[in-house]
Amino acid sequence: MILWTPMQMELVLEGIENMTSPSYCQISYRGVSMLVEKTDGGRKRIARLLSTNPADYLNTDYTPGKYLDD
Amino acid sequence: MEQYRSFDEEPGVFPYSPDIDPEPSIEPDHSPNDPQHPDEDHSRSPRRVQGRQKSGVDSIKELGTIQIPEVKSNIHSISIVGQIEGHLVLPPQNKTTKYEHIIPQLVAIEQAPEIEGLLLILNTVGGDVEAGLAIAEMITSLSKPTVSIVLGGGHSIGVPIAVATSYSFIADTASMTIHPIRLNGLVIGVPQTYEYLDKMQDRVVNFVTSHSKINSAQFRELMFRTGELARDIGTVLIGKEAVEKGLIDEVGGVSRAVAKLKQLIADRANNKGVTLQ
Repeated sequence: MILWTPMQMELVLEGIENMTSPSYCQISYRGVSMLVEKTDGGRKRIARLLSTNPADYLNTDYTPGKYLDD
Repeated sequence: MEQYRSFDEEPGVFPYSPDIDPEPSIEPDHSPNDPQHPDEDHSRSPRRVQGRQKSGVDSIKELGTIQIPEVKSNIHSISIVGQIEGHLVLPPQNKTTKYEHIIPQLVAIEQAPEIEGLLLILNTVGGDVEAGLAIAEMITSLSKPTVSIVLGGGHSIGVPIAVATSYSFIADTASMTIHPIRLNGLVIGVPQTYEYLDKMQDRVVNFVTSHSKINSAQFRELMFRTGELARDIGTVLIGKEAVEKGLIDEVGGVSRAVAKLKQLIADRANNKGVTLQ
């Protein structure tokens, strides 16, 4: 990975050693496959879409960071 | 009232039954079959009742809300902000643009018939070279008109993304930093390292020179200029300087950018009509 930025690398990469990787899990929600992150409250937050339908990526219901209501 | 007087010390208690007969002996004023009341006479024919749509004032009065008009825009806009995140997730203090979401969105924009143009808004400090070039290549290969506008800053890998569109704008005060690529992490001091770095730099230089009016020598001169940046070599171009160097097409704000995009959409529609005939 080559980071090309005028920002200081120490600032950009600060805390990268202590980053914990979230527990991702792949689910299908209303027929759209996505990678979700389980948060502490037991709720699921969209991390990334895995759908092959490009229209899903323009659907605001499936924006990464959105919590899924079960 | 005379009879209640003795119970006044207990207010609210009413020990006597009322004077009216409690039996259900009250007769209705008219019978349901009375011809004088035609409403009751025959069975009503079913009627469809249509509700009146609430006007804006009514809905404010009744619900305290306003109706937001649903405007379907024929242009979509994508903002490239913060760091462009590559194959490694950056620490959470960074605001990042994630290529894995932007790229399929661009596919959807290309494919959707109701979307006719794309406005790209840049305020980025650069980021991953691969991810930035991927976004830039996606934008430049869209068949639909695209217009970019650099607000605030479009540094480093933001430069190829800004020039990837059909037409580019820069705000009067926005800046673009052009400086050499450096390797992060462990760098081995061998000639191959330099070769590799030069190759990576060529990718960016080739993209920028083939999508803007600047030539390779000029771009490299800006990249390796000394005495402009405090902690680095390179150049900062502000507003009209970027236009003078041929990187960006025009100085302007969002109104100019949207107007240009509309004009490009109209031109494309006209050209289509001509070729089909």
